[in-house]
Amino acid sequence: MSSEAALIEAARNGSAAAFTDLVRTYREGLLRFLLTRSTSFADAEDALQDTLINAYRYLHSYDSRWRFSTWLYRIAINNVSKIRPANTVELRDVGDEESDPLQHCIAASDRENLWQCARRRLSDEVYTAMWLRYVEDMSVNDISAVLDRSVSWTKVNLLRGRKTLDAELNKDATDDKSKAYG
Amino acid sequence: MDNLAKQLREDAERIDCTVSEELDERIRASLHGVTPEQPAQPKSTSKSFAFWFASSLTGVAAAVAIIAIVNLQEPEPVPVPVDVAPAPLNFPTIQWHVEAAVLTTPLEQEIDNLQSDLKKAEEAVKQDIDRLF
Repeated sequence: MSSEAALIEAARNGSAAAFTDLVRTYREGLLRFLLTRSTSFADAEDALQDTLINAYRYLHSYDSRWRFSTWLYRIAINNVSKIRPANTVELRDVGDEESDPLQHCIAASDRENLWQCARRRLSDEVYTAMWLRYVEDMSVNDISAVLDRSVSWTKVNLLRGRKTLDAELNKDATDDKSKAYG
Repeated sequence: MDNLAKQLREDAERIDCTVSEELDERIRASLHGVTPEQPAQPKSTSKSFAFWFASSLTGVAAAVAIIAIVNLQEPEPVPVPVDVAPAPLNFPTIQWHVEAAVLTTPLEQEIDNLQSDLKKAEEAVKQDIDRLF
């Protein structure tokens, strides 16, 4: 039995300490993802807390055929979608304001962070699919399970997301060249 | 890894956020207050020996009671058929001479009109045929 499986078993039997150890490696990644999907840092922290509590409470429903991170992300996405309707501010609009939590957490750079751009240009689901693919290295099957979509939908929308961001990236490169040549 | 994938990964890493100690404490405290739910156990459907024994006894007692009731009842007297003379039938008399003219007059007028229209149409067709051939 792997250490993760052992921790899951212990957590299922009521060990909160085992569960804390189990999710330690996923917390930062989850918070980073939730931050990109929330309108404030506090919302992202609340969503992380709710995600972990729900995961602990319903751990018996975890199916070991899936990766544990896949299951966690599924819960996190449900929590974010519950929080979002209350906050009527659109994420697309938040990106331009100083109050954007994502803006505060991004290290200063001479070009815009692609994830900020993605937040403006892509739908919630496509954004999530792109994040899971390129940051979490999830397989297409896992992404479709997290989003509760078909594999073909996931493939098509990943391609669309890529094209959109690729165009943005190339546009930035062209702008840089034209600045360089005056 | 292509350029876009590399860029996306790098940009995600540039989002600097860590779980603060305060949040860590909050999560730990909430987890201690939660009890993981246990999967619902399927209810056992097997019955004990006493249940089946009692059911069998009840069934046998009910059968014996029904047999006893049926056999101890006195036979009902069979009714003797009595010849009954057929009663004379009374047919109502119908008044055949009813005036229906008031109701049918508009229809008769209509049929006369239709017949005259038909005749006119026949004549028109005959004239057309004679003219053509």
